[in-house]
Amino acid sequence: METLVIIYLIFIFVSMYLTILLIMLYLKNHKTLFHDKEPEKLRFLTVTIPAYNEEKHIADTIRAIQSVDYPKELMEIIVINDGSTDNTLKEIKKFNGITIINKKNTGKADSMNQALKIARGEFFVTTDADSFPNRDAFSKMVGYFNDPGVGAVTGAIISKDSSKLFVKMQSIEYFIMAFARKLFDYVDSVHVTPGPLSMYRTEVIRKLGGFDTSNITEDIEIGWKLMKHGYKNRMCLSARVYTNVPIKLKSWWNQRLRWNIGGFQTLYKYRKVLFNVKESTLGLFVAPRFLIAYVLSIIGFFIFLYLIAARIKAEIISATMAAGSGVPQLALHELNITPTVFTFFIILFLIFTLAYTITGLRTMNKGKLGVRGHIVTVFAYLLLYLVLFPPVLLHSIYIMATKGVRWYK
Amino acid sequence: MAKSQKSIFIKAGILTAIIFGLGIVLGYTLESGRISEIEEEYKKVEIEWADAKLQSLYYQNVPAEYCKASIDENLRFADKVYQQGIRLEKYDNANKITEKFKLEKQKYALLKTEFLLNSISLKEKCSADYVNLVYFYKDEPNIEEKSAQRVQSVVLEEIKSMFGPDMMLIPLSIDIDISIINIIKSSYNITKTPTLIIEDKKFEGVISKEKILQEICPLYKEEIDACKGY
Repeated sequence: METLVIIYLIFIFVSMYLTILLIMLYLKNHKTLFHDKEPEKLRFLTVTIPAYNEEKHIADTIRAIQSVDYPKELMEIIVINDGSTDNTLKEIKKFNGITIINKKNTGKADSMNQALKIARGEFFVTTDADSFPNRDAFSKMVGYFNDPGVGAVTGAIISKDSSKLFVKMQSIEYFIMAFARKLFDYVDSVHVTPGPLSMYRTEVIRKLGGFDTSNITEDIEIGWKLMKHGYKNRMCLSARVYTNVPIKLKSWWNQRLRWNIGGFQTLYKYRKVLFNVKESTLGLFVAPRFLIAYVLSIIGFFIFLYLIAARIKAEIISATMAAGSGVPQLALHELNITPTVFTFFIILFLIFTLAYTITGLRTMNKGKLGVRGHIVTVFAYLLLYLVLFPPVLLHSIYIMATKGVRWYK
Repeated sequence: MAKSQKSIFIKAGILTAIIFGLGIVLGYTLESGRISEIEEEYKKVEIEWADAKLQSLYYQNVPAEYCKASIDENLRFADKVYQQGIRLEKYDNANKITEKFKLEKQKYALLKTEFLLNSISLKEKCSADYVNLVYFYKDEPNIEEKSAQRVQSVVLEEIKSMFGPDMMLIPLSIDIDISIINIIKSSYNITKTPTLIIEDKKFEGVISKEKILQEICPLYKEEIDACKGY
């Protein structure tokens, strides 16, 4: 068997395993996806909003938080102006009943740590300055802390609606990420507590040293930190937060560079947990899944590039020779495709992936696909959007290797 | 993590292994089926060829009948073996799990070589009015060779369809590890592919349809439709 064939088969096996795992988790747990626990007692919350140059959105975010259905006497809001150079501070000061921390620009993690020092709440809520939680988001999340083993709860991050195809494809991605995160919740494998909406046990994250200021995706790092110390991260699908997503490729690219670099940083920091039986799901599933995804993406991309380059070269040579020889570039019999073993796997994999994606979208959108353009957008997402990921991953590796880590906005 | 949760990882792994295994078995069955099909076809062709050779021996006692019958059989064989070669190549590219069709390709290469030698001998004995065109190619070419061979194949297909039974087109692979082909290769000093031998004349690289027609048409004693204008 050729080396390339073996690599293809490994790809197929790993991809198939993950998809089947997710499908099985869904089949086993679909009735309880939106079952949230009533809190034994409502606790005091500290809601933090770190903001850097968010003059356009900060006011709406504060208003959204002040509008939640959680008892106001059980909530404090701390807004951290992280050295903004626009009118963010001016916008924040328009509000009453909030605590303002005005500081030099030292990054989001440090901003949240500053808030953590003065937080009075039993639970510490983080949200981004351009994110808008639903009215019932906090009250839906609190009940998960009935289990003393829970260290953090996160919600479903949803992209704000748009008619632009690029935004619609991201919208699908966010729905599927939230859906997958909920499924992974059933096997204690929620690997990230995203910044737009997460709730932590204040004393636990204080004890663990707060947010890592050297990591540019502190939300991934804190998630792993909690798991490393034996705490569970939970996913509340009913708690929704709407966020702005990049509308241009360049901003999207920078965002994903940041996510990738942060992911690498986290993986490197926690490399000793890899395949360590004592680390339970963190060591046996979460960390390996990260590593394998990175490795397979990079290998797959290079193989794809090689095959495309070889094919293009062959076609150019053939075209030149065919023109000189007085015959057509393509003969009819070349259009006849002979099925191979991969034909079966590719068809099966496409069916599984499509079924999973549609199920995820319908789950998140009460039986509908939830994106304008419907099935066309889904195909665009599967065939066009996902191919952007390997190049951005390679770019991330290049940046880490040559330029070090910067904040990518 | 609770045992019930751990078990889903294992169950997913088992289910994946089962589906994956089924896929491999299906692929193996598909590929083995193709190999069996080619082997069956080869046996039939081998029997037909043996039959044709015996007919030839018989007709040597009836000189008037010998040439006509032998040439007809030769022509019929040329087409059959050529079509089998295309099918063999198609299946060979599609097979990924089982071993390549190396043995089958070698058997057909031997058959084609025997056929070529018979065709040359028959043409001399009977003063037959057809042209022997041998096309040398590589079974495992690099990208440039593959592109050139692809174009040349298309050219030869067109030529073959124009001439039909008035041309013996015999493709031979030079890297298939058969001694007689290596001997023929050495005798014509073939170092690159594609290479065409039109009767005894060698042409290296891609030869255009025009050029081939210019070379083979003068070799026919009687004018044929395909050569009108050349």
